[in-house]
Amino acid sequence: MLLQLNNIFKWVQQGGQRVFLLKDINLEVEEGEFISVMGPSGSGKSTLLNVIGMLDNFDEGEYSFLDEPVHQLKEKHRANLYKQYIGFVFQAYHLIDELTVYENLEMPLLYKKMSGSERKAMVADMLDRFSIVGKKDLFPTQLSGGQQQLVGVARALIGKPKLILADEPTGNLNSKQGDEIMELFKQLNDEGVTIIQVTHSETNAKYGKRIINLLDGRMV
Amino acid sequence: MLKNYLKIGWRNLMKDKTFTLLNVIGLSVAFGVAILLSMSAFFEMSYDNFHENGDRIYQVYSTQQTAKGPEAGTTKPAPFAAALQTEVPGVEKITRFLEQEALTTYGEKEINLDAVWVDSDFFDMFSFPVLKGNKNNPLEEKLSVVVTEETANKLFGSAEAVGQTVNILIDGKEEPLTVAAVVGNHDTQNSLDFEMAIRFENHAGYAENIEAWNSSYLQVFAQLQIGVSVQQFEQNTRSFVDLHYKEGIEDLKRDGARADADGRYLQIKLLPIKDVHFASFRNGYAEVIRIVPYLILGVAFLILFIACVNFINMSIAKSAQRLREIGMRKTLGAQKKHLFFQFWSESLFVFLASVGIGILLSSLLIDNFKTMFRTNISLDMLTSPTAVIVFLIAAFLITLVVGGYPALLLSRLGTIQSLKGKLESSGSNRVRNVLMVFQFGIAILLISGTLVLWGQVDYMRNKDLGFDKEQVISFPIDGKKNPYQAVQLLREELTGNPDILGVTASDNNLGRGKDGSQSTSIWGFDYKGRGVRTHGLVVDYDYLETLGLELVQGRSFNKNYAGDTESIIINESMAKELGESDPLTAFLPMNDSLHYPVIGVVKDYNFQDISKAIEPLTFFLDRDMGLSYAFVKVAPVNMARSFDAVENAWKKIEPNAEFLGSFLDENIDNTFRKEKTMATMITSGSIIAIALSCIGLFAMSLLIVAQRTKEIGVRKVLGASVSSITVLLTKDFLKLVLISFLIATPIAWYFLRQFLDIYAYRIDLGPWFFAAAGLLAMTIAILTVGSRTVKAAMQNPVKSLRTE
Repeated sequence: MLLQLNNIFKWVQQGGQRVFLLKDINLEVEEGEFISVMGPSGSGKSTLLNVIGMLDNFDEGEYSFLDEPVHQLKEKHRANLYKQYIGFVFQAYHLIDELTVYENLEMPLLYKKMSGSERKAMVADMLDRFSIVGKKDLFPTQLSGGQQQLVGVARALIGKPKLILADEPTGNLNSKQGDEIMELFKQLNDEGVTIIQVTHSETNAKYGKRIINLLDGRMV
Repeated sequence: MLKNYLKIGWRNLMKDKTFTLLNVIGLSVAFGVAILLSMSAFFEMSYDNFHENGDRIYQVYSTQQTAKGPEAGTTKPAPFAAALQTEVPGVEKITRFLEQEALTTYGEKEINLDAVWVDSDFFDMFSFPVLKGNKNNPLEEKLSVVVTEETANKLFGSAEAVGQTVNILIDGKEEPLTVAAVVGNHDTQNSLDFEMAIRFENHAGYAENIEAWNSSYLQVFAQLQIGVSVQQFEQNTRSFVDLHYKEGIEDLKRDGARADADGRYLQIKLLPIKDVHFASFRNGYAEVIRIVPYLILGVAFLILFIACVNFINMSIAKSAQRLREIGMRKTLGAQKKHLFFQFWSESLFVFLASVGIGILLSSLLIDNFKTMFRTNISLDMLTSPTAVIVFLIAAFLITLVVGGYPALLLSRLGTIQSLKGKLESSGSNRVRNVLMVFQFGIAILLISGTLVLWGQVDYMRNKDLGFDKEQVISFPIDGKKNPYQAVQLLREELTGNPDILGVTASDNNLGRGKDGSQSTSIWGFDYKGRGVRTHGLVVDYDYLETLGLELVQGRSFNKNYAGDTESIIINESMAKELGESDPLTAFLPMNDSLHYPVIGVVKDYNFQDISKAIEPLTFFLDRDMGLSYAFVKVAPVNMARSFDAVENAWKKIEPNAEFLGSFLDENIDNTFRKEKTMATMITSGSIIAIALSCIGLFAMSLLIVAQRTKEIGVRKVLGASVSSITVLLTKDFLKLVLISFLIATPIAWYFLRQFLDIYAYRIDLGPWFFAAAGLLAMTIAILTVGSRTVKAAMQNPVKSLRTE
C-alpha cells in the first residue's frame, strides 16, 4: 500500500459557514497504479492532489503515506517525505525562467544534498532519456510548450519518486503534444511508477487504470 | 548549491537592469556619503583624546551663585594652581595655562607666535612628544621655551633648534630665552594648540599677580592621582574655597545670591579634558554637548536608512514576480532556510557591489568633502583595525537586516499560495507604507532643518549689529612699537587719502579676524553697595565715529578735553545696570580714591558673538592700557584699493609684522562658521536624502503601475479618463507624504526650537518653514510618481489587457 486517505475533510470559512472543499474522502492507492481524477471545475480535484502531495493541509481525517501518519508529522518531516517520494507535474510547467534546462533538472537534487558528480550523472541520464541533450543550455522561454512540459516531467522524475502527481499536465498543450506526454506517463507507469493525474479530458483519463470522479468535494 | 544561488541571483539582477541599477546607485551613494560623514563625525569626536593620561586630566572651573543665577568661570588667579595642589589632596600634577601671543625675534626675523604660558608640569601631563632636546622635563628651567617642529622651521630653518636663544618681548622688554626642546606638530584635534610654550613665571605682570587672588586671567588644568574620584575631589575643595574666596562669597551673599542645593555659593568643579572642546557654560554648569558630531552621524544614519528602505521595498515588491519560483522550489523540497539563504545571497551581491562602489566614491570625493566642510579627515582612518572591524560589522548587520527581512518574508510564504502567484495578505504593503512614511518623514525633517538653519545664518549675516561692518577694516597691532604711537603713525600715513574716513584702535576685535582670536575682559566693582559687572573695552579716539556707533546721551571722547582719559562711556545695558535716572551723573570707582565720570551713553550694539545677548559694556580711554587692534573706515568706493593702501601703510610702520587685515563683515561671518558648516552639511544631507527617496518612490511607482496594468486597462475600457486614473494611482503616495508630514513636523519643530534657543537673536520659528518643507516634499513626490502614472494612464487599454 502506497498511501491511504481516511475520512478526509477540508473546508474554508465563508460568511460564518463552512464551505467544504473536500468531504469525506476515502482512498487507497497501491504501488503501480495509474489513477485519473475527473470532475467539473471547482469539484476539488486540484485540492485533493495538493493534499496527497502534502503541499496543502486538511482539516479532518487521517492520511498515511508508506505507513507514516502524515497528519501527525511536522512540516520538516513532511517536506523530507515528499521530497524523497513524490514528483510534481503542473499545467503551467512552473519551470524557473532564470535557470537553463540543465539547471532546472538539477535543482531538486540540490535540495537533496547530492554530490556534484552524482548530480551530473543523474541529470545527464535524464537528458538522455528524454532526448533533450541538445536543449540543456536553453532557457525555458526558448522552448515550445510541449518541450517545457517534457522538462517538467523530467524534473519530476529525476529524484526517482514512487509517486507522480500531475495537475492537468496537458492543459496548456495541443493534442499532439498532449498525447506524447500521456504516452510517456503510460510508459513510466509500466516501469512501476505510481501516477495520479487530474484531467478534464475523457481521452487522457482513459490512460489511467482507475478513474475517480469528484463532485463538490465528494467522490462519486 | 551556493553556485546555483549565485547564478540565479546574478541572472535575476541582470534581468531587471533598471531596478538593479537604481538599487546599486542608491546604496552606493548612501554608503559613500555615510562613510564620509561618519569619518568626519568620529574625527570631530576625537578632540583631545590623544593624551595618555587624558582620563585623569581635568580643566578646573568654578560655579558661583549670583543674584542673577549660577555663573561659571574658567579663569583663575595666578596663585590658585599651587594652592590647590598643596591644600587639597589628590592632585598629582597641575599647570596654569594662558594663551597669549609672544613677539619673538631671532636675528632678522620677527614673528608673533601663538604662545602658551604654562608650568613645568605641562609636558608631563599632556602628550606632546619631544622630538629633540630635553625629553624628561623640557620646561624645567625658568628661561626655557619649547617650540613645535613647524615653529622651529619658521624661526631657524634647517639649523638645529635646540640650544638657540630667541628674544621675546615681555612687558616692553626683550627677554632672551633658550629653546630646550622641539615637540612634534599637533594633532589637528587639539584644543591646547600652541606654537611655543613658555614658563608662566615669565609672563608680563607675574610679579604683581603672584599673590593676587582677585585677578583671574588664566586657566588651570589638573591631573588627579590614580583612584581619586572627581566627586570626592570636588567635595574636598570646599574648605579651600572657604579660605581663599571668603570675600567674594560675602559679596555674593550681600547682592542677594541664593545658595545652591549643597548650600554653597561657590564650588570648584572639574571638566574632563576630552569634554573641553564640547563644553558650554551657558547656565552656570558645564554642559557637554557633542551636537555637531552627533548631528553628522544622525544625518549619515538617516541617509543610510533611506537607501535601505528603498532596497527593502523594492525587494518585496519585486518578489511578487518570483512567487511561482518560490512555490516551485518548495514543492521540490526547499526548506525555509534554503530560500532564506538564496534570497539573502542575492542581496549580498547588491550590497557587496554597493559597499565597494561606496568606498570608491568616498575616496574620490574626500578632497571636495574636506574643503566643503573644513574637516581634516583622511582615508587612513578607515585602515585602522578598529575602524575596519566596526565597518565590517556595520556592513554585515545592515546586510543581514536589510537583505534578510525580505528574504525572511519570502521564505515564509505558503507553497500553494505562492504557486498561484498571489500574495497572502496586505501585511507587506503595510510594512512598505510604514517604511515610506519614515522615509518621507526624514526628508521633511531634513528639509525643514535646512530652511531654518539657512534662515538663521541669513538672519545673523544681515542683522543690523549696531555698527558699520561693511566699510571697516580691522587688523591686529603686532610689533615692537608702542601701539598708541603705531596708530598715530598710521593716521598720519593715511591722511590725505580721500578714501580713508577714519582710523582708531581698541584692545579687542569685533568678530573673529584672521588671527583667529577672540577675547573677553570683564571688570567687576561695587557700585552703591552692589556688585556690578561689565565688559571693558579700551579704545582710542574716534572709536565711536569710525565704527558708526550711535550716541544716545552725552558726548564721545574728545582730544580737546584733557580729562577724557579719566572718563568713561557706557552702553545702554550698562546704564540700565547702574540704575541711575540720569546715567551721566554716575561716577564709577577705579580704585578706592579715583572715580571716573560717565560722559556718554552708546546705543546697545552686538560687540560679542551674535548668539549672545548684549551685555553691559564700558569704554575706557585709559592711555596706560594697551591697544591690540586697529580699525580703519574706508569709503564705499575703491574698497580693494583702500585695503591695499592700509596694508602698505602698515608695512611701512611695522615692516616685520604680518598684515592680518580683514573687513568686519568677514570677521562676523567667521563667528558663525560652525553654523554655516552645519547648514551646508544638512543641506547636502537633505538633498541626498530627497534624491534617494525619489529613487525609491520612482521604483515603487514603476512596480505599482506594473501590478495594476490590468486594473488600469479595465477602468479605461469602462470609460475612466486619463486624469482620473492618474489621480487614482498618485493618491496613495500623496496620502503617505501627508502622514509623514504630520508625524515629522512636531519632531522637527521640537529639535529646531531647541537649536534656536542657543541664540539670543534668532528667527521666529514660523509655520511657513514646515509648510514649505511639506509642500516641497509633496511636489517632488507628485513629479516623481506622476511621470510614471500619466504614462500608464495614457496607454491603450487593449495593450494593457493583453499582458494578462
